[in-house]
Amino acid sequence: MLFFRSEDDLRAWCRERGVEPGPAVPVHQLWRLSRVWYGSRLDPEGPRPTPGEARAIFAGVGLTGSFWDPVPRQE
Amino acid sequence: MTFETRVRTAILEVFAETGIAPSPAGIAERLRAKLDPVLEAWDRLREGRAIVTGEAGLSIRMANPFSGIPTGHTFESAGIRYYANCAWDVLGIPAALGRGGTVRSRCAHSGESLRLQVGDEGPESCDWLFHSLVPAAHWWDDIVFT
Repeated sequence: MLFFRSEDDLRAWCRERGVEPGPAVPVHQLWRLSRVWYGSRLDPEGPRPTPGEARAIFAGVGLTGSFWDPVPRQE
Repeated sequence: MTFETRVRTAILEVFAETGIAPSPAGIAERLRAKLDPVLEAWDRLREGRAIVTGEAGLSIRMANPFSGIPTGHTFESAGIRYYANCAWDVLGIPAALGRGGTVRSRCAHSGESLRLQVGDEGPESCDWLFHSLVPAAHWWDDIVFT
């Protein structure tokens, strides 16, 4: 999980490695995700989200689609 | 609160207070507990993915969002430097701590430095992008690579 200065940098980095780019997420959207995901992590009752909770968290900050589905698909 | 939860919470508290990964002995001392039950909790936390350990199973490599080893993603606040596991976690640290500071990282392609101030309401305006190569369903296939 990495930062890129621009879409061009992201595409070039993927091209050099022969991989398809995944979704590019703006920093402000990543912050919204971080705040929900990690905001209560130091609390005793704030463990890692379950897969179902994770799916809802991603959707709640606009990260939808199969890429963000935390449950592996049956092959 | 279960003992395992107490250990998990103590691990994260030490990271938050110092930026440094605690050892099982340090957590035992902090909780005024014996070492053996702490080691048993360590194993359960690793199995439950609350921590990722080094080869010997004792040193903490990750306790998300914190990294137990130096990385290229850092957050500095209140005179403490925190290492993050990735670009996501470096914003996860100020979110977890609930306080502002400075994020430092780099563009993975050009190497350009990123210096981002994070305040109480979040980071300053920034047009950089975050990218995960691995889909969410496979993050834990190899969490270090992810």
